[in-house]
Amino acid sequence: MIIAIILIAIFLFGIFFYNSLVGKKNQVTNAFSAIDVMLKKRFDLIPNLVEVVKQYTNYESETLSKIVELRTKVAAGNISDAEKAQIDSQLSSSVKGLMVNVENYPDLKANTNFINLQTTWTESEEQIAAARRTYNAAVTDYNNSIMMFPGNLFAGALNFHPVPVLETAAEERRNISAKELFNN
Amino acid sequence: MQFFSLEGNLALQNVLSRMEVERQKIASTQKKGYFFIGGGIILAITGILMGLIGLAIVVGLIPIIYGGVVFYKIGDELQAYKEAYKRDVIGEALRFLDASLTIDPYRGILAQEFIYSQLFSTDPDRYKTEDLVCGKADKTGFYFAEVHAEYKTVTQTKNGTRTEWHDIFKGIIFVADFNKNFNGVTIVRPKDFGSAIGAWFSKNLFSFNNKDVIKLENIDFDKAFITYGTDQVESRYLLTPAMMERILKLNSNSKYSISLSFIESRMYIAFPLNRNYFEAPIFKSLLNPELLNEDITAIKFMYDIVKELDLDTRIWGKN
Repeated sequence: MIIAIILIAIFLFGIFFYNSLVGKKNQVTNAFSAIDVMLKKRFDLIPNLVEVVKQYTNYESETLSKIVELRTKVAAGNISDAEKAQIDSQLSSSVKGLMVNVENYPDLKANTNFINLQTTWTESEEQIAAARRTYNAAVTDYNNSIMMFPGNLFAGALNFHPVPVLETAAEERRNISAKELFNN
Repeated sequence: MQFFSLEGNLALQNVLSRMEVERQKIASTQKKGYFFIGGGIILAITGILMGLIGLAIVVGLIPIIYGGVVFYKIGDELQAYKEAYKRDVIGEALRFLDASLTIDPYRGILAQEFIYSQLFSTDPDRYKTEDLVCGKADKTGFYFAEVHAEYKTVTQTKNGTRTEWHDIFKGIIFVADFNKNFNGVTIVRPKDFGSAIGAWFSKNLFSFNNKDVIKLENIDFDKAFITYGTDQVESRYLLTPAMMERILKLNSNSKYSISLSFIESRMYIAFPLNRNYFEAPIFKSLLNPELLNEDITAIKFMYDIVKELDLDTRIWGKN
């Protein structure tokens, strides 16, 4: 009788444990797709941004063509998630540079469309940051479940493996140097 | 924190000097009232102890009634004095801080809005609110009011039922227009033993409502608060690392732990307090700036929240 109860308890625990791992893994996937949605929203801003900037500046053509090129790569669609993250990081720093240079074009700075795009861009930056933080929280929760006892005993056998957290790209992690920005 | 100085404000000094005469009159009349009521009670007790019950009631009752009449007669004046204090003294001090600030002693935050804010999980059975202060710090509109919300418990006793009232919240509710667009609900409540267990239960086993527990990466924030939200990403969008630091600082400046909620483009903050603010003193001089300074400090604290939480930075597409 006691053995039967123990076996049922172990069985129920197994179901609960397995379901909770599946739930946590799905949360990781879900959190990643949230980043993807946010990135797409940001990539969609690029054509408008380029159009507006083009009207007012003749000097940023190099930066603009680099931005367009990066955006085209994303639009092609056949790139991996890692590549997408890398392109986003490059895009981010190019647009950041562009925003700094806008100081030289008072007309552009005062343009309503540009101001709107600038605020939407800032908004999307923080939304992406929030999505990345959500992803990392989901990954940490999932990794803790499979790396801590008793999860570590069964997770491998059930084909659950740790997922790496997203780290800030080296380029973004570097402190912004005002000197460098103004020497460009 | 910059304190409000009476010396620099002649208009307010004049108002206070005029009202001080009124206060002294009310205070001496009330003292007279207390004297007669107290004397009446002592006479009645002495008479009863001496066995002269009939005489004790008559002799005791006369001064008690007279005392009651004294209080009744000064009632209107007292009410007018209290109103004038809020309107002229607090109102002037508010204008000194910022021309946009106004106080309405008879308005507050409606019970529906209190429930809607979801700051507390219990709905009130008895609700009092007063002293609504409204203002605008550049682009950010805000208002706050004193709120006392209670719930009741009814227990069966031998003699029938006993109703007891318990505080849900007593203090100031601050509401400001938030600087980011959002659609869901995010709630930040102080962490205590019960809520920590509830949060663990809903995170690991089963959630009774549509809100998830949001585990945030700021360890100090996670120790002080439990965060619930309808959308994990949106809650983190609102509670950025910088915002969490600012909320922690605000919380450390408040005597009791604060609660926050983000609903319908507004931010609600509940500051529990154990004293009634903006009330005119009766037995303390109006010319002593200490009491007024406490009120002004409270108002300044609320006014500075917009700056402290950086709510006026409008770079996220919301104007």
